[in-house]
Amino acid sequence: MSVLRPLDKLPGLNTATILLVGTEDALLQQLAEAMLKEDCTSELKVHLAKSLPLPSNVNRPRIDLIVFVVNLHSKHSLRNVEESLHHVDATFFLGKVSFLATGVMKVEITGRGFFAAGQESHCSIHRNTVMKLAHTYRSPLLFCDLEIEDFRAAMAQRLVRMLQICAGHVPSVSALNLLSLLQSSENPSLEDL
Amino acid sequence: METQSEEQAAAEAADSRGEGEPPQVAGPQAARPEDRMALLLRVRAQTKQQLLEYKSMVDANEEKTPEQIMQEKQIEAKIEELEKEIEEAKIAFEMKKLALDRMQLSSALKKHMEKINTKTSVLMDNMKQILSLNKSVMKSQQETRDLEDKLLDVRKKRLQLKQASERKLLEIQTEKNKQKDDLGSMENSGKIKTIQQNLEMEIQITTVIQHVFQNLILGSKANWAEDSALKETVLQLEKNLTMIQ
Repeated sequence: MSVLRPLDKLPGLNTATILLVGTEDALLQQLAEAMLKEDCTSELKVHLAKSLPLPSNVNRPRIDLIVFVVNLHSKHSLRNVEESLHHVDATFFLGKVSFLATGVMKVEITGRGFFAAGQESHCSIHRNTVMKLAHTYRSPLLFCDLEIEDFRAAMAQRLVRMLQICAGHVPSVSALNLLSLLQSSENPSLEDL
Repeated sequence: METQSEEQAAAEAADSRGEGEPPQVAGPQAARPEDRMALLLRVRAQTKQQLLEYKSMVDANEEKTPEQIMQEKQIEAKIEELEKEIEEAKIAFEMKKLALDRMQLSSALKKHMEKINTKTSVLMDNMKQILSLNKSVMKSQQETRDLEDKLLDVRKKRLQLKQASERKLLEIQTEKNKQKDDLGSMENSGKIKTIQQNLEMEIQITTVIQHVFQNLILGSKANWAEDSALKETVLQLEKNLTMIQ
């Protein structure tokens, strides 16, 4: 089947699987490594993919969380993500999908320290496009500059927590619960768009 | 059809966990029994949660989704309605949990109170301190209210004074404007014009009379340069002309 469904397989014991979809291989690899370094009581499995649909000949475990990585500097990554979204079942969007926008800021490293220069003029995709995409699919949108190690480590921590909740490893919090928690702060600002 | 088999499989899986058999974990096995117990308990909690998720999906799939094609705005409105329902369900649940916790707390407190000696326990000390703090809080709140009332009175008085001064200044301005208007109207009134015209006519008449006298004197061929009065009359012509102009 070419469409990913959230609950078509049984969950592995004490395992949680995340699927990272994006065109930037190096960034995804680094993020995956950062996530695997995190301290977590359940076993983590990270799958990387350039785009969906995934090849069906591989025997893979149940996917608990899909993160679509969009690079704000390349329109190709956005188009890739949009096409991949067609191969995801609608029930996945009940909290098990998240969008991650990278390339928000570029950092210049000087001799003494570093300061961040907002280079939004160089982004070929506007922030609002990604925000509208996340709003249409009712999924949370995260911003992170994956090239900086500290931000990457922090984002990896967040993703690990989200993954645990989506895999059902945290009692009394479900993916849908988390989704409604994450959504309430975003919607008011989007009304102005 | 798929979902029913899912539920069966999930139920069977849950049953086997429920019996407490050690699971076949692919990851590293913990050597100490406490770790294995912890792992077992964790896996038990996980399976419970996952079973709950599958059950809720089965229940959700039993609901019929409307087949007609709705417009995007309608769909968005419907989605927001459903999200609101979720939020309300969550809030209701939280309130009920809160009420339940309160009832449990009060009953536990009651049982505790029946057992202890009411004069010497720590609980009573806490209660007494709470009461004294409440009293001081109420007193300071009362003081703040009084001060706020005084502040309000002062502000009201200031506003009244400001309004009175505004009125006075307005009166002064209207008086000044009236004076200016009166002055202006006086200048333009008809009386002054007629007076001016009369004046001009008188001046012209006197000039004519003077000319007549001058011509008389000149015509009489008398030597007017010798007599000072005659000299004055002849030479006055220039003076009058300049006055009118």
